Amino acid sequence: MIRVELAKQLTRPRTYLTFLALTAFALALAVALSATGPGRVERVGDIPLLLVPRTSMFTLPLVALSSTMKFFLPLAVSVFAGEALAGEAAWGSLRYALARGASRSRFLGSKAAVAALFSIAAVVLVPVTAAAAGLVAYGWHALPVADGSASTPLRLALVSFDPGQALGRLGLATAYVAAGMSSIFAFAFFLSAVSSRPLVAVAGGVGLTILSRVLNVDYLPGVAVLNGYMPNNDVDLWQHLFQQPVESAGMLHFLVLQAVYSATFLALAWWWFLRKDVLE
Amino acid sequence: MALRNLTVAGPPPLAAVADHSTRREVSSARGAPVVRIEGLVKRLRRGVIAVDGVDLEIRKGEVWGLAGPNGSGKTLTLKMLLGLVRPTAGKVFLFGEPVRPGARVLGRVGALVDGPGFVPHLSGLDNLRLAWRLTRRPADEAGLEPALDYAALGEALHRPYSTYSHGMRYRLGFAQALLGRPELLILDEPVTGLDPLHVRQLRAALAELVARGTTVLMSSHVLGDVQETCTHVAVMQQGRVVASGRVPDLVARFGAGSSLEEAYVELVAGSGAAAGDPGRSAK
Repeated sequence: MIRVELAKQLTRPRTYLTFLALTAFALALAVALSATGPGRVERVGDIPLLLVPRTSMFTLPLVALSSTMKFFLPLAVSVFAGEALAGEAAWGSLRYALARGASRSRFLGSKAAVAALFSIAAVVLVPVTAAAAGLVAYGWHALPVADGSASTPLRLALVSFDPGQALGRLGLATAYVAAGMSSIFAFAFFLSAVSSRPLVAVAGGVGLTILSRVLNVDYLPGVAVLNGYMPNNDVDLWQHLFQQPVESAGMLHFLVLQAVYSATFLALAWWWFLRKDVLE
Repeated sequence: MALRNLTVAGPPPLAAVADHSTRREVSSARGAPVVRIEGLVKRLRRGVIAVDGVDLEIRKGEVWGLAGPNGSGKTLTLKMLLGLVRPTAGKVFLFGEPVRPGARVLGRVGALVDGPGFVPHLSGLDNLRLAWRLTRRPADEAGLEPALDYAALGEALHRPYSTYSHGMRYRLGFAQALLGRPELLILDEPVTGLDPLHVRQLRAALAELVARGTTVLMSSHVLGDVQETCTHVAVMQQGRVVASGRVPDLVARFGAGSSLEEAYVELVAGSGAAAGDPGRSAK
């Protein structure tokens, strides 16, 4: 079933367009950063990390991840997850897939697996494209990072990661962002199981992202109690990987939160789909 | 109201007055019924009862027509037969096995229900191949070539499905229903949107399949088609089977001996439901 699902989704224009848009964004960002003057400092995230783009190829993927993790990547993930089942229902092919006696659990599993694969590919594509552009533009050099939270006007808290270290930490950061998308993925997938309208499911995933950003202590101090439980708020904590020492407590809490959200919504999707009346 | 009077106080449905001893003899001669529906009920949201106590038995080689106005519960009944919709009450058996979502017995059934549905960016041929691969059965059991012959789509088979006309989509849907040489064909309004030539081809195809022993259950608004194609008919009204039996018997009893259409009008018209009950939105 997974191969059938891959054959459907790999040939779908929506898939290419999503990957193309993310690639184009990462390349446009690389061109824009390269066009700025030498010595310009980029502030990344809330810490912030202070990067000088032209010093290393690794600055571009860090900026690209930071720029896409709060909207473009959740949008891409919502598209893949939200259209998985609802898209099939909207085409009218869902009833024929099930009417021949296909197991609903297997069908759901194949849909979830392929949508997850494409979602991970979307997350990976952004830093890989930016890193490739950075390699061409700036070469394989150590990555100097200044910790904005520990620096003062008189002292710059500078850490330098050799290329191997930087690559490893970039990989961990990408994996963290991918894991950080799992709650949005699971929520959009659940809506896709419930609704026969793909737009509803996609909008639901994006809506959860926006809600998570709105109910953020940075904007609404009164919701501080919710802050640690919103599904997308702490997706930017990967930036701690580029501090010395790494503060991992918040990252672990966020990963556990993602696991809880994902397990809950995927279980709900499975429960619903097994009992769903295929009326469309 | 007139319809309720018919089922309650009027002449009983033909199935109910059939000679049961004769039916049992036939039954034992032919084995288990291909389709057996017992007290099927489907209650939709807000308490609307879309299918209300349907009983039906179909034997091998019979061709049943399911007639009735829009919203009478025909399509929903067919979807419950296919395990797509869960009955609120009652039971459905295919080839003697109970139907539930994912039941293996559904592999013996081909269906075209509620219109065709395919992946729009794939060609007709790729759609059929993928549909068959989902069954996880060997490719040589698909019977792709004869199914394609019935569809008669020619070179269009290699074009994306999204470019197909309405009639071509239905023909591809019919081809999909024929994959795997099903023993039972369930067709929902199969001639909708077909031009007269393709209607004739569909009839010929059905006749050929029936001659080979395929059992058919088809819903249709085209009563002339039902009369010409079907051996039996069940008329549904407001979720109930109000009359069922052999087509000539039904015509003789309700249609002044001339046409099924007259019998249908006699059974359905004047009840007020033919114009559509606002609470009955399900097909």
